Amino acid sequence: MNTVIDAHNISKIYNKESIPVYAINNVHLHIERGEFTALIGPSGSGKTTLLNLIGGLDRPDQGKIEINGTDITKMSSNELINFRLKNIGFVFQSFNLIPVLTARENVSFVMELQGKSKLERNERVHALFSQIGLEDKLDSLPSQLSGGQQQRVAVARALASKPQFVLADEPTANLDTVAANKLMDIMALLNKEEKMTFVFSTHDPRVIERARRVITLVDGCISSDTAKVSTQ
Amino acid sequence: MIIKISWRNIWRNKMRSLIIMMSVTVGIFAGVMVLSLYKGMINSRIATVIYSEIGHLQIHDTSFKKDFEPIYTLKDGNKILHQLKNFPEVKYVATRSLAMGMLSTTTGSSGVQINGIDSEQENRISQLEQKIKEGAPFSKNKYNQIYVGRKLADKLKLKLGSKLVLTSTDISNEIVSSAFKVAAIYESDNARLDEMNVYIKQTALNDMIGVGNQFHQIIIILKNDSSLNSVQAKLSQQFENHLIENWKTISPETELMVDTVDITSYIIIGIILFALAFGIINTMLMAILERTKEIGMMMALGMNKLRLFLLVLTETFLLTIAGVPIGILISWLVANYYHEHGIKWSESEKEMMQSFGFNTTIYTDFPEEKIGMVVFIVVLTALFSCIYPSIKALQLKPVEALSK
Repeated sequence: MNTVIDAHNISKIYNKESIPVYAINNVHLHIERGEFTALIGPSGSGKTTLLNLIGGLDRPDQGKIEINGTDITKMSSNELINFRLKNIGFVFQSFNLIPVLTARENVSFVMELQGKSKLERNERVHALFSQIGLEDKLDSLPSQLSGGQQQRVAVARALASKPQFVLADEPTANLDTVAANKLMDIMALLNKEEKMTFVFSTHDPRVIERARRVITLVDGCISSDTAKVSTQ
Repeated sequence: MIIKISWRNIWRNKMRSLIIMMSVTVGIFAGVMVLSLYKGMINSRIATVIYSEIGHLQIHDTSFKKDFEPIYTLKDGNKILHQLKNFPEVKYVATRSLAMGMLSTTTGSSGVQINGIDSEQENRISQLEQKIKEGAPFSKNKYNQIYVGRKLADKLKLKLGSKLVLTSTDISNEIVSSAFKVAAIYESDNARLDEMNVYIKQTALNDMIGVGNQFHQIIIILKNDSSLNSVQAKLSQQFENHLIENWKTISPETELMVDTVDITSYIIIGIILFALAFGIINTMLMAILERTKEIGMMMALGMNKLRLFLLVLTETFLLTIAGVPIGILISWLVANYYHEHGIKWSESEKEMMQSFGFNTTIYTDFPEEKIGMVVFIVVLTALFSCIYPSIKALQLKPVEALSK
């Protein structure tokens, strides 16, 4: 089975008691393994809400979300936490590394939560740092890294647990052009070499240009879903 | 990893954490010093009770203590004395003849316990002559000499050489009196006992009440405090027709004081740490609220609620426990200093302490046997302090926390 994310008729409604606001309105979304998909749309269109829903960080008010065939909408919050740990990688707009841990420890953190051995963790950390080109920053604290470097460490952290897919919420929003390009190069490489599925929300035209599928959200609804011929 | 993150988190706001650690240090120092002071006072009081007042053990006729009639002398007292020499645990023994009576002077009178003593024996068990503040020990050539306590002397305006009359009843229940001259005024740590007890030669009291060469009481000092119960059991078996009592039975108020002080000291430490707990809760709560986004991110990545609770617990525990060794070390140093040099009460406090039978200089005693309990109370405080911040952390929803 190649379907990783299968969302059926999902809606997220705020202010249900007074004037309902549909942040996500009856969305169908189907993501296959190995996709490199951009979610675009104006501010308030529901990009982040949709990512939160398919990432199991929030629950839809209607509809069902299946990850690898498992319905996550029926899971308890503890089951969801464990599910996220094993299946989903996250990259946040503002990096969100743990400031008291070094780059190596930040990446190792998720694997420790998974109960991986020290040897296994070390091997994975070195492989990932080699891929993101930060082998010399293993023992640096986040405060000693540039924004671009922090976001690359965040990508490595998202991949450390060998998830089914990675969700990235505006990963280049806080980066300059060089850092943004570098990050996209890395994500595209990981997508190509490890067949890692990436879904990311963005406003950045440089990022949209690199995506192989672009889904446009307007007012909580998918207004267009375009698959492009590979640009990699 | 949880310990590593917790420890490093503590140092994110060094000043705030240091203040809490110092508070814990001061709290532990205060608590342990209270324990040291109490232990010193109690040990001093027990030492006074044993080595200056009543000894480890006392032997009486079974009827004597019911009504203090002089007729109830110790049967076979001299034989018992001889047999006590075969007890290797016994260090010193002394005999006393006792009578309840009235001390009268031209200015007034007071009810007293008349102790007939053998000076040499008495000095070994209660160091009576060391307590003499005015005058001199009994002279071998003089018969009717008396020691009176400072408080009684002040009350009846007695001076060295003052004449007084002791009145009591003899073995036939007849009233008998004898005149005495004050040879010395003594002062112990227990003003109440000083007011109640006078000492005359055993021969003088025996002649007065007609008990010949008998006596009412044998006082025993042991070589080792720990052999108290075993020696008492052996004596009770060997001299089953006599009343064998230890100091705890004779002076139940001292035993009660030991128990009360133990409980009180734990309550004081509990109160200190309970107050500190609110500072710790406040610090932890601030730490949690400042890191809402970070906690949300950790939950998003897969940190479950148990691990999150353990993180807050470990952080609180480390923050609380970090001040403990320093507090214990400082209190150990200070307690040892005052163990050597003592804390002297001011003049106004002296009288009050003496009225309770306490020494006027307190030598603190570091309560090493209670440090485990102190650490246990600290751990309880940490657990108590982490509950509210943990609840706040566990209530966070990742999607809301991440948007903060």
